Amino acid sequence: MKTRDEVLVGLVVTAAIVVTVLGSLWLARGGLSKGYPLYAKFPWGAGLKQGQPVLLVGVNVGYVDEVDLHQDGTLVTTLRVQNGYQVPVTSKATVVANGIFGDMAIALTPSKPDPRAFKSGDTIPVGPSSPGIAELTSKADSVMRSVNAITGALEHEMVATGGLHDLRNTIGATNRLVNDFSAIANEQSRQLSATMASLRRATGAIDPAKIDSTLANFQTTSANLAQLSAQVKETSVKLDAVLAKVDSGPGSAAMLINDPGAYNDVRGLLQRMDSLLADIKKNPKRYINVKIF
Amino acid sequence: MIRDPLGPFRKVGKWTYFLRDIARAISDFRTYGSETIRQMRNIGVDSLPLAAIVAAFIGAVTAFQTRFQLFGGVQLSVVGLISRQSIILELGPLLTGLVLTGRVGARITAEIGTMRVTEQIDALETLAYDPIAYLVVPRLLAALVMLPVLTILANAIGVGTAMGTAVIATDVTSADFTAGLRLAFTPFQIVYSIIKATIFGGAIAFFCSYEGYTANVGAEGVGRSTAQAVVVTSVAILVLDALTALLLAPYLQA
Repeated sequence: MKTRDEVLVGLVVTAAIVVTVLGSLWLARGGLSKGYPLYAKFPWGAGLKQGQPVLLVGVNVGYVDEVDLHQDGTLVTTLRVQNGYQVPVTSKATVVANGIFGDMAIALTPSKPDPRAFKSGDTIPVGPSSPGIAELTSKADSVMRSVNAITGALEHEMVATGGLHDLRNTIGATNRLVNDFSAIANEQSRQLSATMASLRRATGAIDPAKIDSTLANFQTTSANLAQLSAQVKETSVKLDAVLAKVDSGPGSAAMLINDPGAYNDVRGLLQRMDSLLADIKKNPKRYINVKIF
Repeated sequence: MIRDPLGPFRKVGKWTYFLRDIARAISDFRTYGSETIRQMRNIGVDSLPLAAIVAAFIGAVTAFQTRFQLFGGVQLSVVGLISRQSIILELGPLLTGLVLTGRVGARITAEIGTMRVTEQIDALETLAYDPIAYLVVPRLLAALVMLPVLTILANAIGVGTAMGTAVIATDVTSADFTAGLRLAFTPFQIVYSIIKATIFGGAIAFFCSYEGYTANVGAEGVGRSTAQAVVVTSVAILVLDALTALLLAPYLQA
């Protein structure tokens, strides 16, 4: 019984020690298969810490094993790359943002594929770092300032100078206008409907037979009119001939119209008649002798 | 009205005397040597299934909850990071300690209390045995050793189930989770967990032994002591947890 206790306790304690050691190693270095080290010198303040992922063209190939602060302004970073992965010699190491909380990763980006690879212990050249969260924050700051300025101006326009009130009035007026329009449109539509209805009734009331007969009458009338017009023309020709005859012919009418002598005779006659009438007025007894009984 | 305004100080004084008696008994190795192994078995090995079950569920729940507290845009490796930090730094040691308070502490109080009320402790003294060296020291040593052991195993199980849950039940991949697990890890985080567990183990054995050792006469006395022991130990563990965090958490940062 006692021996069994000791064995059990020993087993559990050993298990705990093994778990502690192996677990720590696994967490810190990515397991017992340690991979091979590569080095990169980043400037101070790159935001690196142990355990961050190392990405070769986006694939996780290892972890940051150690970050060593050197007094010459560099962070000598040990990258632990898994044995199965080769890093081409054209690669450059850059610190890139990993997620939105300012966490970093190291990206190894080859400029072109190359069969030659960095060997264990080599130092990878460092490329320009991508904008970190700090730069993004400062950019966001300037954007915020512009937005603030716009908001301020807008507020001044809309609130301080009563723009909002005007806008509200305009909207109210527009609403009323739209209502009026709508009423008018309704009324129009109603009248149009009525017109259409009466038109439909009128169309229904027209008798095609009557229209036919009317048209026939109209045709007859028009034919009569043509005949009449021909007769008028004929009459007009005859009248022309009569007039020509009157004008130039030897008849008495023509003489009356054309001979100045006749005119003068008539004129003299009229004068004599005038003087005769004046004489009759002056001495009526010379001409009129009225005797009663 | 407080019946005994100096009561708390009296209690602390009694604890101090008890501690002194334990320190004095440490030199008496022949008395507690073989008994310590037996207590390690009782306290440590027999508690392993309970600690494992608790850790497994805590790990699973932590990973699951963490995944669904993340808002969009947060990298999923955060699940691994938060699971590791909460389990190793806090939940592993604390919950193992609290669970063992119930399973081990109550048992210690009941055992020693029963021996007290049945006057077996007096008999030991008559036989020139130091009852503290025979009863308290082995339990204290066993708890001091086995609590860290249990906590380490609980941490491993917790992180394991956290990873299993995250990979199986959520969209977190094992690569994400492992990346988070390894992010900003320092070995001191494990040491911190072990320090906490050791302190909790000491607290469980010390307070529970004390309550049993000072149990009042009768079955009721043992029952009251046991309840008292569990309460005192649980509160002590939480207070010590806070104190450890205050003192050591600044050194945790990678």
